[in-house]
Amino acid sequence: MKLTEAWRLSKLPYREVVYRSLAQERGRMWWGAFGRNPSDRDAYEDVELSKRALRIAKFDKLVVAVFNLIVSVVPFASLLLGSTALGLTSSVSLSLIITFGFMTLYAIQTLSSFVSAESSALLSTLPITSNDFSLVTLFSFVRSVDYLVVGSVLSQVVLVAYLTLSPVATALMFGASLMNSVFAVAVALWFSRVFHKNYLRGGRSKRTTLFRGFFVLVWGCLLLGVGLLLSMPYYVLPVLDKALLSVNTLSGILLSFVYPFSAGLAIAKLSGSSVPLVTVFGASVAMAAYALAAWFSAKWSLGTVKRISIGAGVRIDRLRAVDFQIKARGPLRGYVTKDLRVTSRNPATAFFFALPVFETVIVAFLATNYEVLRASTVIVATSMGAIFTLLVPLALVSSEGKEIEYAKTLPITPQRMVSSKALITMATYVPVPFALVCLALLKPLTSWFTILIPFFMVISVVSASIFEIMLFLRSVGRSKIAGIVNDAEKIFAGLLTILVPEAAYVVAYLILFNHAFAALTMGGVTLAELWIALYVLGRK
Amino acid sequence: MSGDLAQSPLIEVSGVSKRFGSFLALDNLSLRVMPGEVFGLLGPNGAGKTTTIKVIMGLVVPSSGKISVCGFDPLSGSVEVKARIGYVAENPIVYESLSPRDFFEFVVSMRRIDQVAANRMVSRLADAFDLAQYFDSPIATLSMGLKQKVALIASFIHQPPILLLDEPLNGLDARSSRIVKDLVSLHAQRGGAVLFSTHIMEIAEHVCTRIGIIDHGKVIAEGTLEQLRSKTEGKSSSLEEVFLKLTNEEAAVADTARMLREAFLGNETH
Repeated sequence: MKLTEAWRLSKLPYREVVYRSLAQERGRMWWGAFGRNPSDRDAYEDVELSKRALRIAKFDKLVVAVFNLIVSVVPFASLLLGSTALGLTSSVSLSLIITFGFMTLYAIQTLSSFVSAESSALLSTLPITSNDFSLVTLFSFVRSVDYLVVGSVLSQVVLVAYLTLSPVATALMFGASLMNSVFAVAVALWFSRVFHKNYLRGGRSKRTTLFRGFFVLVWGCLLLGVGLLLSMPYYVLPVLDKALLSVNTLSGILLSFVYPFSAGLAIAKLSGSSVPLVTVFGASVAMAAYALAAWFSAKWSLGTVKRISIGAGVRIDRLRAVDFQIKARGPLRGYVTKDLRVTSRNPATAFFFALPVFETVIVAFLATNYEVLRASTVIVATSMGAIFTLLVPLALVSSEGKEIEYAKTLPITPQRMVSSKALITMATYVPVPFALVCLALLKPLTSWFTILIPFFMVISVVSASIFEIMLFLRSVGRSKIAGIVNDAEKIFAGLLTILVPEAAYVVAYLILFNHAFAALTMGGVTLAELWIALYVLGRK
Repeated sequence: MSGDLAQSPLIEVSGVSKRFGSFLALDNLSLRVMPGEVFGLLGPNGAGKTTTIKVIMGLVVPSSGKISVCGFDPLSGSVEVKARIGYVAENPIVYESLSPRDFFEFVVSMRRIDQVAANRMVSRLADAFDLAQYFDSPIATLSMGLKQKVALIASFIHQPPILLLDEPLNGLDARSSRIVKDLVSLHAQRGGAVLFSTHIMEIAEHVCTRIGIIDHGKVIAEGTLEQLRSKTEGKSSSLEEVFLKLTNEEAAVADTARMLREAFLGNETH
């Protein structure tokens, strides 16, 4: 088979992979909302859904690739602006770490569908040889990460070429970038396989639950890590520079063996920077070892892809049930439990439950920059948390998927579904006010009344989630599952709901310059919103 | 089953029409299912069987007509109706990321079933359908037949007075098919009503006490197999022959068979 033909054919399994990954991880489908307007054709049709999934995946991939490109450039910002305070070593190393984290995160989302091997099931029925089949599967795999790899390799190579004017350093950067991509894809493939295997095995053992929690934590840490590295290059870079370039210090020598600092040190030395000899030696040995590791990783990845292509993706070791005991709960608890189970089995949506940690860290990060915890800081921190929480209803409704058709056959009212999801959304937000109380104990507040802001926001978050969920369910009621994708702008209804009480606080404060009055006004507005939300819900 | 219900039909559909745009899916359709009856809804693909079941279930709003399920309207008394029905869709829709155990827990909780009763029913049915190997595996990883078993168990769990089964034997092995047929018969013997949609004549012939033949959204014939036979003046004919005669498909099927025979034999001679 010609390579061009194999590349063309690979679009079929690739389309299946993106369709499955988007269908499973609908939380990401909100990208699509900013694409074209919904077509007049019935979105329920599979063909239309598949085309839309591909369109969304392309847009998604492009946005992520552009973002990845930007984050790979950020560590070089000070060098590009002509500052000599920060070295090339740290810039290269940080750029490699950030792109590694980003590529791994993105690839895990897409490859979790790829490893199930079902994407190639249709191709396996065609009369083509096993080698051609493997080639097509390999190309479909490449299609999943092509934009990201090309984008980050190009940006890093071009930047190093521009900054060093050294062909050897540029060539080494090219090699290091490629190695970085190979490692990222291999790690993502390994994680996807392990997660998929664990998912297939099922069961309710402590090991399974622990593993699921661990996976969500890793997912969250990667995202958080990338976010933090991105937010504070000016804090990290000087410390790193000092550690890496100190003559004969143990930290410098040790770091020279650690990827990707070894790459950073080697490139810096080749561009003429002053790097201690012992560190250069360590970095060179380490780079040779990492090149070998990258070669083995690539071989392992290709072998794994080949095994997937022949249907040997993941072996299922089913656990035989020892009993058929089930636990009956009340309808509300039952629905909440179901929602939590459905959402937590998917790494992308599961992370939404890790949002409180994420929010709290952001809140803490913001607040530590100030000596006094001002009302404006509390309002901004509260808004950050609430805005992140607004994604939870979308994740909860979209993770219902077409299975919501089953819920419609049960003797429950739509209010039950809305209450369940609003309750989970509220629970996701609740850690934020307590995190702020903890901060208020460490830093003085301008007025103790301001600490009421995040607590009132809990009420507003409940109202916002009720409005959002009702709007989303209206789309589902029209049998437009994919409608959720196009209706993501309904999040703006929630956004407005959380912003109105804060605006009320600001306006009330500007009238009387009294925090107590402002807080009471805000409380009144949030209660009014809740009354409206419950009234609309009751009328449904 | 209460004494009152035993006197009146459990399902009553009167002059129901349903239009999807320009397509008339149900055309003034009427039928009744009495307690103790297994009513077979037979018809070619696209005849309106699934739409009829969905209208009774309250999942599709009819354009006109009246429906009563145990005396309740499926739209205004949606919760009451759904509490009294065990429903299996044509393509089993269940929460695929849950395991059968998680899924049954969800169903039992939503239906407010007593824990002891729920455990007794689930244990017996899961054992009967041989689900032990798959009870804790995500439903997404199960075969179509196993998913159908999960959907069937979920529909029987609350021992409803009415079963609405849309092609319930799809994908089932011989053993499970037999169990479902037995369960359906047992349900009718206990005074329950079953509306059983199928296009497989043998199943309808063996399971149903009364059959309604539906075509182009209308019930064109209704009665026991004997009554249907007498309508076609073919006392010894099978249900398949009766069906083809009543739907005026007999001549068309014979023509198609002749055409296919010519095409295949023609290929062989080449």
